[in-house]
Amino acid sequence: MIEEIQEPTETGPRVWAIGGGKGGVGKSVVAANLALAVARTGARVALVDADLGGANLHTLIGIPSPKRNLSDFIARRVASLNEILAPTPFDNLWLVSGAKALLETANPSFGQKTKILRHLASLDVDHIFLDLGAGTSFNVLDFFLAARRGVLVVVPEATSVENAYFFIKAAYFRKLKRAQPRARVKAAVDEVMRGDARQRVRTPRDLMAQVMAVDAEAGAALMEEASTFSPSIIVNRIERSEQTRLGDEMGSACRDYFGINLRCLGNLPYDALVRRSVDERRPAVDLFPQSSFARAVRGAAGTVVGQPVEAVG
Amino acid sequence: MSHARFEDWQLLDLAPGAELAEVNRALHFRRSLYQPGALATYNLLDEDERLRMLDRIDEAYRRITGNEPPRSPGPRPVEPVEETGLQGEGEVGSPPDPRTAPGAHLRFQRRARGLSLEQLSAVTKIRTSLISQIEAEEVDQLPAAVFVRGHVLQLARALGLADPNELAARYLAKVRLD
Repeated sequence: MIEEIQEPTETGPRVWAIGGGKGGVGKSVVAANLALAVARTGARVALVDADLGGANLHTLIGIPSPKRNLSDFIARRVASLNEILAPTPFDNLWLVSGAKALLETANPSFGQKTKILRHLASLDVDHIFLDLGAGTSFNVLDFFLAARRGVLVVVPEATSVENAYFFIKAAYFRKLKRAQPRARVKAAVDEVMRGDARQRVRTPRDLMAQVMAVDAEAGAALMEEASTFSPSIIVNRIERSEQTRLGDEMGSACRDYFGINLRCLGNLPYDALVRRSVDERRPAVDLFPQSSFARAVRGAAGTVVGQPVEAVG
Repeated sequence: MSHARFEDWQLLDLAPGAELAEVNRALHFRRSLYQPGALATYNLLDEDERLRMLDRIDEAYRRITGNEPPRSPGPRPVEPVEETGLQGEGEVGSPPDPRTAPGAHLRFQRRARGLSLEQLSAVTKIRTSLISQIEAEEVDQLPAAVFVRGHVLQLARALGLADPNELAARYLAKVRLD
């Protein structure tokens, strides 16, 4: 299994994997703008395009597709990882083209995935934003889990919420499968699901409580594993004020159902200027810094870097 | 603040010993989270799980406050007008007494949760016409007592009512007496 590539206390870049569920909710636009807003706080930021379905972060940033990419480094065609950091028009922000590396190995093994993430984590930056694209394939889930800071982008629509929960469920169970010692945990889970207590298991959270009752050590292992799964959520394209509650409400529902913490990183309003900025191939944070979207992105960036970000004058 | 357990406070996301006003707010928030069609829980739970979650929330509230949870003031989905019986009886306002009107109590509780006959039927696998007959206490339409008891238990559980056994006993006593 792939390892988590860092603890929050460790040095090295913080890796934020932006993914989850549905296409068309604005993941790449959010990733590009958030990365730029964080770069403008003075932190060094690498934006990694890992969207297998359609890598186009370079277009959102307004540069040609980078000549060098992650596979060049893996194949040792470049000497140093820093050679694949493509400069952007913005200070402190670099783009890494990563999707090709993932595509070349159609189904990268755990070892390969670990290697890719290790390489990324050795970049000389403070934050890495990994745009994973849509979908719930094992590849996406593994990168999402391994990054430790998984961020789901949702819009206030039933299909998006549904996809987000589907993604969280898939990632959650993939995560729990890693609880050690695996045989003992599995035996305890099987015992619960065979016995009378099965009636009381309605949610993953119940399952953990029941496993705890039959085998405290296995239960603790599951809880330990679950406790390190705490994705964040960004709600995009908010049009009505009551929709600003969605992120927190989903957080409550996840706590009830999975027993996990889902933190809301930010609420981003629908803003027609975002579409214009995409057409102009410049992030809205740069082109329309006073737009409601850009302000909200700076708010989320403040949460990412752990301090409030002053509005750009 | 009587028989509350730590899990009850946890379920409502409250610090043990929170003020009643806070408990009421928490109840309202969590109930609205699990209303049918609530966006924030869309397709997270199946219908059965959703009803059980509401039931747990109400149970936690009862243990914390020692009171029945107040009816939510929030808007309810509009329910199509139904065919038979009980029009005007316990429609709005005061809930029917489960001891004297167990059928009307079932209907009132179902409507209070914004559930249609179809939705409750989907959960309990009891056909809609029979649920309606049970609610209307149409004695001559009901099957044998042993089935009626089972159905009432199931309906009461699906609705998350406090004491399904008690209600089933009341129901059988009532329809036999009538």
